[in-house]
Amino acid sequence: MKRIVATIFKEWKLNQRDLGGLLILFLMPALLTIIMALVQDGPFKDFQHVQYQVVIINQDQGRLSDSILKALEHSNQFIINKNNHFNANSLAEAEQQIQKGYFHFGIYLPKGISNELVNSSNLLANEIGKQVGILGSLPHRQQRDSLRIQLLFDPVSKPAFKLAMQNMVERMATKIQSQIVLERIAALGKSNTEKSNTNIQDLFQSIKVSERNYSSKQAHINKNSVQHNVPAWAIFGMFFIVVTISEKMISERNSGSWTRLKLIPGSFAHILIGKMVAYMFFGLVQFYFMMILGKYLMPVLGLPSLSWGAHPLALFIVVLVIAFCASAYGVFLGSLFRTTSQALPVAAISVVILSALGGIWVPLEVLPESLKTISVISPLRWSLEAVNHLLLRTQTNFEWIMPIIILTITGVLFLIIGKVFISQNEHT
Amino acid sequence: MLAIQDLNKKYSKAIVPSIDHLSFSISKGKIFGLLGPNGAGKTTTISIISGLIEQYTGEVKVMGYDLAKNKKDILSLIGIVPQQFALFPTLTCYENLIYFGKLYQLEQTALKQSIDHYLSIFGLQEHQNKLIKHYSGGMMRRANIIASLLHNPQLLILDEPTAGVDVHSRNMIIDFLLSYNKAGHSIIYTSHLLEEAERICDEVLIIDLGKKIIQGNPKEICTMHACENLQQLFLKLTGNSLRDH
Repeated sequence: MKRIVATIFKEWKLNQRDLGGLLILFLMPALLTIIMALVQDGPFKDFQHVQYQVVIINQDQGRLSDSILKALEHSNQFIINKNNHFNANSLAEAEQQIQKGYFHFGIYLPKGISNELVNSSNLLANEIGKQVGILGSLPHRQQRDSLRIQLLFDPVSKPAFKLAMQNMVERMATKIQSQIVLERIAALGKSNTEKSNTNIQDLFQSIKVSERNYSSKQAHINKNSVQHNVPAWAIFGMFFIVVTISEKMISERNSGSWTRLKLIPGSFAHILIGKMVAYMFFGLVQFYFMMILGKYLMPVLGLPSLSWGAHPLALFIVVLVIAFCASAYGVFLGSLFRTTSQALPVAAISVVILSALGGIWVPLEVLPESLKTISVISPLRWSLEAVNHLLLRTQTNFEWIMPIIILTITGVLFLIIGKVFISQNEHT
Repeated sequence: MLAIQDLNKKYSKAIVPSIDHLSFSISKGKIFGLLGPNGAGKTTTISIISGLIEQYTGEVKVMGYDLAKNKKDILSLIGIVPQQFALFPTLTCYENLIYFGKLYQLEQTALKQSIDHYLSIFGLQEHQNKLIKHYSGGMMRRANIIASLLHNPQLLILDEPTAGVDVHSRNMIIDFLLSYNKAGHSIIYTSHLLEEAERICDEVLIIDLGKKIIQGNPKEICTMHACENLQQLFLKLTGNSLRDH
């Protein structure tokens, strides 16, 4: 224990006097976080709060078009451009604008579509009334198949988006028709049956669908720019410690101080453990330093404040394991290479590559499938997955356990392989 | 004190062995000079004795302990002063010594007393709080020796301890070695400075290409080969050709 504690203090002093190394450990990830959070704030807002530009070519001006417009306005997902002054060129102009990308899609409501809906509702109400023995008939005429609501899509629209919009409009039309039918049946029945206080519409829509509201205040943590970038770049910074560790290990070996350590009786593992503990401590400080920046500095810059999640203890364990894996990777690289000019570029570039694969630069869900598959090799992916799980979810199902098991195994493997390289270098 | 029997070592990429069937022994309380031209195998021999090189054949015994079985015991009995400055450049001399002392698990008060004692002997007390990287070559050599003395080793092995230092530092180091030996400690010492070796060593071993050439008291072996001094004997036995590797 004495040897481990002595090594921890030694590493602390060495790093304390290495201003460049400290800047790499703390300032670089802090700067990256701030810059990336600011740069990605806009795209993240777009991703989270998508508002579609929609043009309405409204030749109808009836009940159906009013209902569709109200529903679109109510959803807050659409920026509506109404074209109420229909002329012969309106549809062609709208088509052109959509193709040029000015609008995501358009809805063409032809003249008389509401009347057609009322007519078909009357027909349906008459038919139902006849079958249940209600006397009387509502005015109607023959149905016209030629009248249709037409949807116009931007050519780059995704099939899922097209389907969703089509379903939405069809659902609205059906809803309005069902309302009209129920009103008509009620009107037919008034002359024949006793007056009822029951709202038929309520009975008809007995099964309702709604989004459940969570009880906890934390339930609505959105993955915004800060919520992605702060933990992501904190993890990047923790892994960037490999540059410092490998550089120091190689310098110690080349300067001869490593030789003296080997000449002192006792397990060399104590010295490695001391080194690892010191760098794990730096990793922890780095992570929580970034979290504090996220919480208090980001709002000053006009960005959202970082939420620390609802599982502080689990988060601490995860960060500790990430720090272990990152330090072990540094020891591995320090053992693998004999000169700093070999090790440093590999250390820095490998962390950049692993971070890109691990969803640090952009969220993993945005990456192509092939990269998502490869990303399993990146310890930064598992690190971010575990941290995000704890920061974004209020209820945890221990899904963060699997990533930390993977990170622990990876770290142990790095140490074992590192030890093999150290032994090989010494015995030749 | 030290017995080496049929020692062999060949590095993986080398064509010829660095140590070739080398056998010698050293008595307790002696200053023993391990001499030889560049590439003779001096540093390799020391690295094997100190456990830095583990792949070799032959037998090495230190104070009765077999190196293959009792490396830890041997390391606590010997002190090695490597040829390199084996200290952390961005720690002060005092911080280096405290750290290495703690790795030897020495008791805090005894360690501090030992450090003060040796800093005073080697004239480094005033400079103990300077970073090692700001030390001169001579100061680094002296600090390097102190770091190997903290655990009071019975056998001190020094690999070219006076290489590249000024006359004052060299005299200080030699004086210390003589007094340390007088106190009952054994010393193995390698050097290219044959005059110095002749002056302080009770016994020398000259090796070349990993093989033993001659072993004995410097004066006696010089007389035996009709040479005036150790340098003449050295050249006579190892030849005049350059040893560039």
